[in-house]
Amino acid sequence: MPSMKSLPVIQDPATKALPGHRPLWQSVEEVARRRGEFAAGAAEAPPELSRRSFLQILGASAAFAGLTACQPPRDKIVPYVQEPKEDRPGKRLHYATALSFEGYATGLVVAAAEGRPVKVEGNPAHPASLGASSAFDQAALLDLYDPGRAKGLWRKGQALGFRTFLSEVQKLSAAHEADGGARLSFLLAPDASPLLAEFRRRLQLRFPRATFRFWAPIADDHAQEGARLAFGRKLDLHARLERARVILALDSDFLATPGDSLRLTREFASRRQPGEEMSRLYVAEPAMTLTGAVADHRFRVGPAEVSPFASAVAAELGLGKRSAPAGSPLARAAKAVAADLSRNRGRSLVLVGPRQPASVHALAHALNSALGNAGETVVYTKPVLGDAAPSSAAITDLARDVEAGRVDTLVVTAWNPVYAAPAATDLGALLARVPNAIYHSLREDETSKACSWRVAAAHPFESWGDARGRDGTVSIVQPLIAPLYESVSTVDFLAAFLDEGDKGGLRHLQETWRARTGLDPATFDREWQRWLRQGIVAGTAESPVAAALAVPPAELTALDPPARPEGLEIAFAPDYSVWDGRFANNAWLQELPDPVTKVTWDNAAYLSAETARRLGVSEGQVVTLAVKGGSLSAPVKVMPGHADDCVTLPLGYGRADGGAVSKGVGVNAYRLRTTPGAWRVAGAAVTPGKGKHRFAVPQGHFAMEGRPLALDFASHEWAHGEGGGELEHLRGTPPTAQVPVDYSKPDYKWGMAVDLSRCTGCSACLVACQEENNIPVVGAEQVAKGRIMQWIRIDRYYSGPAADPQTISQPVMCQHCETAPCEYVCPVNATVHSDEGLNEMVYNRCVGTRYCSNNCPYKVRRFNFLNYRPEVAPVETLLMNPDVTVRSRGVMEKCTYCVQRIERARIEARVAGKKIEGLQSACQQACPAEAIVFGNLNDSGSKVARLHDDARRYDLLHELGTRPRTAYLARIRNPNPDLA
Amino acid sequence: MSAPFKPHWNLLARLSIAVLGGGAGGALLALWGYWHTPYGQRLQEEVAQPVLFDHRHHVVDDLVDCRYCHFNVERGASAGIPSTQMCLNCHSQIWNKSPKLEPIRKSYFTGIPIEWVRVHQVPDFAYFNHSIHVKKGVGCVTCHGRVDEMPAVTKVASLQMAWCLDCHRNPAPQLRPPEEITSMTWAPPEDAAARTALAAELMKKYDVHSRVSCTTCHR
Repeated sequence: MPSMKSLPVIQDPATKALPGHRPLWQSVEEVARRRGEFAAGAAEAPPELSRRSFLQILGASAAFAGLTACQPPRDKIVPYVQEPKEDRPGKRLHYATALSFEGYATGLVVAAAEGRPVKVEGNPAHPASLGASSAFDQAALLDLYDPGRAKGLWRKGQALGFRTFLSEVQKLSAAHEADGGARLSFLLAPDASPLLAEFRRRLQLRFPRATFRFWAPIADDHAQEGARLAFGRKLDLHARLERARVILALDSDFLATPGDSLRLTREFASRRQPGEEMSRLYVAEPAMTLTGAVADHRFRVGPAEVSPFASAVAAELGLGKRSAPAGSPLARAAKAVAADLSRNRGRSLVLVGPRQPASVHALAHALNSALGNAGETVVYTKPVLGDAAPSSAAITDLARDVEAGRVDTLVVTAWNPVYAAPAATDLGALLARVPNAIYHSLREDETSKACSWRVAAAHPFESWGDARGRDGTVSIVQPLIAPLYESVSTVDFLAAFLDEGDKGGLRHLQETWRARTGLDPATFDREWQRWLRQGIVAGTAESPVAAALAVPPAELTALDPPARPEGLEIAFAPDYSVWDGRFANNAWLQELPDPVTKVTWDNAAYLSAETARRLGVSEGQVVTLAVKGGSLSAPVKVMPGHADDCVTLPLGYGRADGGAVSKGVGVNAYRLRTTPGAWRVAGAAVTPGKGKHRFAVPQGHFAMEGRPLALDFASHEWAHGEGGGELEHLRGTPPTAQVPVDYSKPDYKWGMAVDLSRCTGCSACLVACQEENNIPVVGAEQVAKGRIMQWIRIDRYYSGPAADPQTISQPVMCQHCETAPCEYVCPVNATVHSDEGLNEMVYNRCVGTRYCSNNCPYKVRRFNFLNYRPEVAPVETLLMNPDVTVRSRGVMEKCTYCVQRIERARIEARVAGKKIEGLQSACQQACPAEAIVFGNLNDSGSKVARLHDDARRYDLLHELGTRPRTAYLARIRNPNPDLA
Repeated sequence: MSAPFKPHWNLLARLSIAVLGGGAGGALLALWGYWHTPYGQRLQEEVAQPVLFDHRHHVVDDLVDCRYCHFNVERGASAGIPSTQMCLNCHSQIWNKSPKLEPIRKSYFTGIPIEWVRVHQVPDFAYFNHSIHVKKGVGCVTCHGRVDEMPAVTKVASLQMAWCLDCHRNPAPQLRPPEEITSMTWAPPEDAAARTALAAELMKKYDVHSRVSCTTCHR
């Protein structure tokens, strides 16, 4: 063992620049002044703990005093009366099902333990999942067990039984049938479900004069209109990113496309390996998004400047004449982008986001057509949502009808129209005027208050149904558990208006599908079982259609661009945590740091440093944003890389009646969205206010002090170094403080590799980890003190100029060092090594000295400062993973490499007399980019072992001699030499 | 002025220290001792069960194998407590009028399960798995004792961590041939050499990895 003196001294980060290591920074404050190691208040006792906690402690002492006099009561064992043949105690049962998001399904496989769903995984057979799952998918489990869910069926404050509800609806329907349903109106959530489409067809037959409207706060009207302009009909666009070498994203956050984010992320990541085939991504956007953060070139342009930029690129390609003013930086960019696109005909792709007007979408169609991309990198299909596509106008049309007194019965399954409709509509007051406003929702919210009928919706994990993915693939939605609360599934709810509400979802579903397929009963039963088992109905994807431009490209390029708005422009954006607000009551998502800004439990008015300076406002200052028809007070947050002269406001916060979790979180950006579905509003006035807001931002809490951590290379630098020479000093076996143990002997040596080239920072892994490992949520106040509990943190670093930086995301979890610094400072041996080299955490030994955390150079240990589950509702205990201990106050915890999965797999393999195969950690399983790979390093054929030998491999803080088991693969950027 | 404290106060002070200090130590010692008594470990404690189920009768008289009722023992973490249906597999035919079986029939016809009282309980943070122990040659009797001699099941082993580790550190003497797993009477050969040879042979045959890492049981 070398003496401590001979150990290498950590280089001062400021003095020595290493290859691939640019000076990194995490926040604007950090650039201004170095921040302290700990967040303010992190070391202090919480102020709210006083009398109550004292009594708790007193009570505990009293109980302890009497310990010797009694024994704990004996548990009960309650076996089944009749054993179901598939279930055995301790066995995990997996059910294929699907979750719809904005009308599009993602196929999932949900694991149930003793009859309760405990873990959501992606369905590898489903084209929109490919085995991965998003943060929203994962968090659906918390929604299921939310004690604040809507319960029961109510009319004017009076509880109805299900039967009474059905007979009342039957009476209502009969009354409406007389005039063909002229005074009956439906406001439905967009859904591509074939069963619901069949219901609508039958409802239309029964009520020919009833109106059916589809609405969601976030709709892509512009894309549909753009397709209509270009092709003469509405078409869905499907990007094939695995074929694209050059991608131009115009204000398009395509990595977060609802219902398609997982597939697109997988395909995008598959082409981010250095080499000839590596793709290049250009993004032009106002606020930094997930997509912008992984761009090779990101052009910081306001939402209104995207259209001129697109025109300039088109002009360079010989389409149209609207080139950018010569000499401007954008002209140079447009020239380079156009040249790159034309060099890659048929291998390039232009994508446009929903915020851009239809003319830009049409222009992109013209570009893709001219570049020969249609049918190659982009295919078109008939719209999967069909007539069930949401329309922003639905809400104003409905308001007009209600205003004119033309609606007696309104059936609402659309999510929370009262909250998300423009304030001027005053939909709440209007709905209160409808004699029978029937609202079917998972939660009691703003709309429930206004409606005379409230019907609790069953969770998708509790109901039968069907759904279609973005590509049209049908999945059967099957329940895993009987409804936890008195509630009605969407199928039963709509069937009630056909007088068939008591028939049951399963029968409806089977009858409809038997009729659709026309199979004989025996074959159908066999097929049905196959659909349930696989989670997809094979062969139901929409086939691509040949999409020829209906008009000459010249006409599309000549479409009038929208007038350049005067003054400050506000751009709305769906939020990565709460989307349009529907996940606002989900604590996992609220506490999920935004992938870009790292803000938890909040939204803000994001703007650039330059705009903030010009407006005379500073970070955290509360300002009043006023537009025609609305105003809003919101705290300012400076976002590096934000375009000047515009403000980005994420939607979905500031809920008045959204449930206990969402109360008082953020500001309601819908108040400025004065036109329904508007993505932008111009002419905003900003008045600096007095208040100061403190954001709960965990980034920087666990800072590793500017050492070479997240490494990235430009592709030409990398090729120059002939692969790996640059990183030799960051791997291998450095001198260690302890005598290293040889772990090459056991069967298994667990390790992980994180490919920074693939990681987009989407944070799906983080929620998957939280779900798998029973990690508590701590709340904004505790987050601000640096007490966030998530075992994975995704560090987001900036490099380059503060106004327009480059971004890199780096997931950091316990590195499972072979010579772990945490272990030799623990006075009670609560953290030790296993025979396979895992750094184990033994909760029952831990006395909470926190020495281990202090000595951890990676800052990955999390301490239960408080009991974060003091009052858990009984239903919430069902959420817990039975394979993982629930930690209490005063205990340290951290990533275990999902040791419960390892042990389960080991026992199953050894009982069967095999070796462990196909084991995945929860984060790896969720990751859509396949950036996280876990496995056995002693198996030289394993993927993780190959990645550990990759030329891009390096170890975090290698010079400390900790020998981490987690290796990182340096990120490679692929910049255009013409833009260097 | 006289001294405020008289000399005999010294004795009082010393006594107080002895009582307080000794009392604290004594309390800890008592706790430690308690933890090692059969009472503290809840050994040999007969527990009233909702049904007067007698293992002696089923195992000895009827020769029912353990695995008939505890069907999950080779496949899962839990050995499985038989469902009401399983009792009635036989008792719908024999003794089907017995008043002692009234709770079983009641459970079956009402659909309300029987609530058995747990005798063998490991703490929630210890994850015990039956299947791997049974598959690696640990017999039922090793941990549960002579169930065939128990009118009511009682605990015979402490199930404390030290007890687990005794075997995990040296599993060889506890192994038995696969066909003897559920045997209540099997004993290793008397002869020391034969015993050692059998243990070594079984270690190899079962490919026993004795694991003592914390996460083997605590996750």
